[in-house]
Amino acid sequence: MSNASNGKAVVNGMLLKGSLSSLRQVSAMVLGLLFASASSSTAGAQPLSKSFTVSPESSGLEVINQIGSIKVTASGSNTGKIMINARQVDGDARVNATQTQEGKVKVEVTGRGTVDFDIYVPLSTRLDLFTYKGAITVANLTGPVRARITTDGNIQFTGLRSSRVEAHSSSGNVVFSGELLPDGEYRLKSFSGSVDVTCPSHADFKLSASSFTGVMDLGGFPMKFDRQTNQLVEAAVGAGRAKVFLWTQEGSIHLRRKP
Amino acid sequence: MECRAVVSSMSDYIDKHEMWLSDIEVREIETHLIACSKCQSIKLELTEVRTAARELPLHTPSRALWARIAKEIEPEVPRSERPTRVERPALSWWARMKSRQFSFTLPQLAGAGALAAALIVFGLFRTSNQDQRDFNIIKAPTALQTALLPGEDTIKAEIERRLSVINGRKMNWDPQVRDDFERHLNKIEESLRYSRQTLQNNPDDRVQQQMVLTLYHEKRQLLEDVERLKW
Ligand SMILES: [Zn+2]
Repeated sequence: MSNASNGKAVVNGMLLKGSLSSLRQVSAMVLGLLFASASSSTAGAQPLSKSFTVSPESSGLEVINQIGSIKVTASGSNTGKIMINARQVDGDARVNATQTQEGKVKVEVTGRGTVDFDIYVPLSTRLDLFTYKGAITVANLTGPVRARITTDGNIQFTGLRSSRVEAHSSSGNVVFSGELLPDGEYRLKSFSGSVDVTCPSHADFKLSASSFTGVMDLGGFPMKFDRQTNQLVEAAVGAGRAKVFLWTQEGSIHLRRKP
Repeated sequence: MECRAVVSSMSDYIDKHEMWLSDIEVREIETHLIACSKCQSIKLELTEVRTAARELPLHTPSRALWARIAKEIEPEVPRSERPTRVERPALSWWARMKSRQFSFTLPQLAGAGALAAALIVFGLFRTSNQDQRDFNIIKAPTALQTALLPGEDTIKAEIERRLSVINGRKMNWDPQVRDDFERHLNKIEESLRYSRQTLQNNPDDRVQQQMVLTLYHEKRQLLEDVERLKW
């Protein structure tokens, strides 16, 4: 169905804007992909893809979604590229993807609708991920990551080797598995979900864990306690090199040693 | 690099949160700061706010800074949606502080914690109507009411300002999105009331102080998120 033929220019699709490597012309070079889908058809489920050339050492990605999930996988094989796949689930949201002069890629959803992202990035990419509602998944990254879900959705980090991790969900679980690097800082928070951390037995960190009404299970690691109440535990594992901050208002906290 | 981009990265830059900025961005910011006196003085004054927050309540940032930040922000908010600021009679530095609107990171607020005990001597607990129903406290004149924690009134004022902007827009949101927002806001407010009550019974409990501050932070973050979505 054509938008123009019925006299009504209804844009029921997604617009993906991007720039190529000639960075100076970002605003001028709008590489537009515009397609329409009748609301009665399933054409909206067709994914859109766009890739950006980045330099692996300064690669950065910011995603601002509204409703829908964000899945980011880091790999060593596609070192110079950020590859974005966006799938419109419902509604008539638009996806804008642009690259700043500094090389950072910014993806933003506007309008109303659900969009799921499946993104591939170089290992050391700096990530800033945001969705109002929906899950966030990050795998195998070594760059810093910040992930935030305003309302409902789980955050899952697997195989991370990042020195800075910040995650927050209002009512969803935050699950981390990965290394705690000696100078690293890890802040994992959920209002009503649980916070679950799994790290290797050689991990060396200072822990601050607080849960207002939930259970705290910190088993597996021998600790020196600085403070220990029902709601707050401050302790060191080993020399206390990494900083780990876990918080949940209503959920439980689990700290596990990787078998 | 444009001033707007420099200003939006300034907070990360000053806090040395360089992981959110690439080396190239840091260099671009530094180059820009050398050339642009406007951004240079914003940087200086933001640094001053950070220092002032750490030394609360000894210093307050200059009114000029807030005016400048407000000038940066307000053109992005339609005039009809701007909050009207209610001026209260300024009795003391503390009352004057209430009318300031700037944000703190949690460690900065916690750093001011040592002053909590001294401030609680001022002792007239500022409570919302809901709190009064809960605790049956006799209402003191507004100007004399004070917070349980240093910085509490400031963060409350900031939250109220943001909330009034959002309340003006909320009617245009998707009903499901609005329900989700209100459900989360209510949950935080309920916990906050409960935590404040616990703290009121035991004002020196540092764990409770931290819990209350964390919940304020949580509430502010919820509002910041919605602003980020530009709904
Ligand atoms: Zn400037």
